[in-house]
Amino acid sequence: MRKSVEKCLKALFAEHSAPPLEIIIPILEKTGQGEQELTTQIYDTYSTVAKEIMKILGLKEKNMKTVAKIWEIVNSFEKQPFEPIELTESKFSFTVPDCPMVHVGKNISPKVRSKFCDLICAGGSKALMDTVLGSGKGICRWDKAMLLGAERCTLVFESVKE
Amino acid sequence: MKGSLALIAVLLVAAGLISIYFWMNLSASVSYADLRIVLTDTTAVFGTMLGIITAGLMFTQGKFSELSSELTEKASDYLSRVLTIENMQSIETHMLTLRKTFTKLAASTTVAEEIGLYERIDVKVSSIFVDFVVLLNLKLKQQGLPISQLFVSEMDSRLYRVYEKRLKGVKKEWQIFTLIKRITDTWEAHTASFIENTSIALPLETDLKSSIAILKIKEKVDKTLVDPRNDVFKAFSDLNSGIGEISVQLRDDGIPQLLSQMRQASVLRGKYFYLALIFIVAPLLSNLLILPQLSPTTAAFFQPTIAVTSVLSVLGIIFLLLYIHKILNV
Repeated sequence: MRKSVEKCLKALFAEHSAPPLEIIIPILEKTGQGEQELTTQIYDTYSTVAKEIMKILGLKEKNMKTVAKIWEIVNSFEKQPFEPIELTESKFSFTVPDCPMVHVGKNISPKVRSKFCDLICAGGSKALMDTVLGSGKGICRWDKAMLLGAERCTLVFESVKE
Repeated sequence: MKGSLALIAVLLVAAGLISIYFWMNLSASVSYADLRIVLTDTTAVFGTMLGIITAGLMFTQGKFSELSSELTEKASDYLSRVLTIENMQSIETHMLTLRKTFTKLAASTTVAEEIGLYERIDVKVSSIFVDFVVLLNLKLKQQGLPISQLFVSEMDSRLYRVYEKRLKGVKKEWQIFTLIKRITDTWEAHTASFIENTSIALPLETDLKSSIAILKIKEKVDKTLVDPRNDVFKAFSDLNSGIGEISVQLRDDGIPQLLSQMRQASVLRGKYFYLALIFIVAPLLSNLLILPQLSPTTAAFFQPTIAVTSVLSVLGIIFLLLYIHKILNV
């Protein structure tokens, strides 16, 4: 990666970051409010990040390959490893060996974890696909396997057939 | 420090074990001629090693002085050009705002994770605050101006003790770089590569960003948090450019590398040298004392001691190799 590109990306991630889940979830759980705001903030953050990455790297194509590329960069900066399973014209699937939700405090019930997992995955993936593929042109599925004790979660991005 | 202690421990344990082994197995006497050869050879080995160690010490001292004068030269330039009074005062004012804001925020919440974040911020802000007061006062002193009590008066007794300790720690001009490096390390992550996966403590910059994101969500339901969030955001932006500039300058001038070399040279000059003395000079002296006394009649008496110093000569060679390896890396 060219140094100037890396510098731009570093600056981008320094400017835009989502709130730390291990702190914000206990707060929202306690107050019982702010879930919508969290989803909005996550959506805004990741759509801005995706838009800027496309600009910095000059990614023009609105396809799954671009989704995968952006995903790779976001995860590199957020130090979240993932392993791709499949990348086709219409589908990008991968597994993650670590999930921020697992690190949320022990006092948080599985039900609350599951709810926030949906909120965050929905907000983040929608932001990414809306930005790259266009609004409503993609869906994302996640199996929440790690919340049930598995070692990995699987996520699937798919474009919607028109 | 831990490395040196571990090394000492390993060498001492190895020496002890091998000595016991030799002591117990040396009941069968070795000939006088053999003992004399062993004693002469190990004495020669120790002598050579001592010569190399002394040369290494002189080299390290030279390197240390060279680095020290290079940093001293840069230090006065930093104090007069990079660290302006206005810039430092502005940073200090923001640090005070952050301290007050986060102390209040921590007191007004009951969520442990949130309190933890705010307290962490307070600790880091306090550390940077103290370092800048030290730098500011050194700068005033350099310009022949009286030391400012303005920021010192904002410290509680615990912080004042830290301030005094850090101020006293700056005995040489170049040591201001230790303060500046600590400031930039506390402020931002020193990642060589963004892919690098480390579990280092989060920098203040990241914690502040997290707090802004949290306050942004919380202020939707609690409007009183709008002002603190704006204050933190303003301070964060100004500090990002203020400390960021210093950090860029520091890296461009290669100061972190120079400091690291200084540290290595200092370790070699100190701990490693004394360690070398224990493993080389002590057995050498012992050999030199035994040599004139060694005769066919005293051979059996000196045999265990000669065995121990022979073992130490092997350990000394291992130590010497480590020492040379360290010197080559300075």
